[in-house]
Amino acid sequence: MIDNFNRFVIPNLDLLAHGLWVTVRICAVAFAMAVAMGAAACVIRLYVPGVRYLAIGYIEFSRATPIIVQLLWVNYVWPELFGFPQSVEWAGIIALAIQSSGYLAETFRSGIEGLPRGQIEASMAVGMSRSRTFRRIVAPQVLLVMAPSIVNQLAVVVKASTLVSVIAIPDLMYDALKIVNQWFEPIEVLTSVAVIYILTIFSLSAIAKRIADYFREKYGLAAYA
Amino acid sequence: MIAPTLSPASTGGPILRCSNVRKSFGANEVLRGISFEIPAGSVLTIIGASGSGKSTLLRCLNHLEQPTSGEVYLDGEPMGVRIKPNGTRVPDKAANIARKRAQIGMVFQQFNLWPHMTALQNVTEALIQVKGLDRAKAADLGRNTLAKVNLLEKADDYPARLSGGQQQRVAIARALAMAPKVMLFDEATSSLDPELTGEVLEVMRQLAQEGMTMVVVTHEMGFAREVSDRVIFLHEGQIDQDGTPEEVFVKPTSERCRRFLSSALS
Ligand SMILES: Nc1ncnc2c1ncn2[C@@H]1O[C@H](COP(=O)(O)OP(=O)(O)OP(=O)(O)O)[C@@H](O)[C@H]1O
Ligand SMILES: [Mg+2]
Repeated sequence: MIDNFNRFVIPNLDLLAHGLWVTVRICAVAFAMAVAMGAAACVIRLYVPGVRYLAIGYIEFSRATPIIVQLLWVNYVWPELFGFPQSVEWAGIIALAIQSSGYLAETFRSGIEGLPRGQIEASMAVGMSRSRTFRRIVAPQVLLVMAPSIVNQLAVVVKASTLVSVIAIPDLMYDALKIVNQWFEPIEVLTSVAVIYILTIFSLSAIAKRIADYFREKYGLAAYA
Repeated sequence: MIAPTLSPASTGGPILRCSNVRKSFGANEVLRGISFEIPAGSVLTIIGASGSGKSTLLRCLNHLEQPTSGEVYLDGEPMGVRIKPNGTRVPDKAANIARKRAQIGMVFQQFNLWPHMTALQNVTEALIQVKGLDRAKAADLGRNTLAKVNLLEKADDYPARLSGGQQQRVAIARALAMAPKVMLFDEATSSLDPELTGEVLEVMRQLAQEGMTMVVVTHEMGFAREVSDRVIFLHEGQIDQDGTPEEVFVKPTSERCRRFLSSALS
């Protein structure tokens, strides 16, 4: 076992490290896009009556489609339809971002709708406009209250990202499978990779919980999370 | 230094005037023709049973609710409507309504402080965002106003760390710092533990003595009797009894008002 570990994992550390870097890169970019797209979809859904149904359709679609279908769809269909993405990596990022943005849009919405109405009235009562109220009172609180859920969504992105190997993105999972297929010795490599994912996800959850505790203590906020 | 509680000179007429205000929610007519005037520096108290329309009336005064018909005048100017040169009335722009709201302070039963801001930030927010004061000036004014409600030492605490009474005093400071022409209090002590109502009533009493124009909805009958210049008893959206505290509390002519008072005082 130690022997196999030394034979299959140690010599491939470079490869695994590179795979990990690809995973980190994909998750980070996809997550950032998902936050932006989710916020946009949420704001349109709540505040732009004319096109709110487009936003609802988008949110429902993104949440109802399995990630693997989205991956294949963006990777194989989009280039035909729209002429992009031009690389598998971008296809993976877009698919992950689409999926998470739907969940984040709903997270933001429940944050906004859970905000006590009186706070908005207090803001209007001192003469703040609707948009200023949104920027100064609503949005910051939604980010604070929802921060733990948002971090948890990042953990979901990391988990879902293991599937991007099916469109041949050389992420951590892909590189691990490559080593396994070379030697047909799955135990050590796959266990090591599992440990890396577990540690990543656990730390993200721990961070989410710390944030929740801190904000609850400081602002009494997570009460309506 | 004393924070300005009295606002710039007004026109001399009533600070607030309510003219035949009606408000319906669907088929439910909650206010059925309310008219009154509030002279500068006077305290009007509104009493009445739960559901009689007290909160709705206050909210119509600063246009958090738009009256279905009738008008509210702030210092002679109509709220929420614009009168065109040819005399027709059109709904006013949101920015104009907001500008007038900024001259009306409102204190809520649930305090409604913004939990992500310190006490001082709660007070300075509108000074900066609405009045356009720079940060230093706003902080100065904010501290003075917090000192007025005896909370200077809590300036940097978040609302979660404050007691209900302290939160409500911050909320009063937030409204007061804007130097409003009139302040509206909607059951400002109703969600406080009995031992905390005193400190809030004390601040309100002090404001009244300094000549702040106030409209107060309250169940604290002793307080109402003591500070009010005029008391209105609201019943099902109409003014059922109206007069000096003496007239309303001691010798009400309305049977309903008498019954309400005897149940409220027991
Ligand atoms: N936004 C609203 N939509 C529909 N009905 C409303 C709304 N706000 C108030 N009402 C109704 O208007 C009536 C008067 O309510 P209001 O809150 O003004 O009473 P109140 O005198 O302040 O009572 P309380 O002493 O319980 O605070 C109630 O029947 C209430 O259900
Ligand atoms: Mg009420």
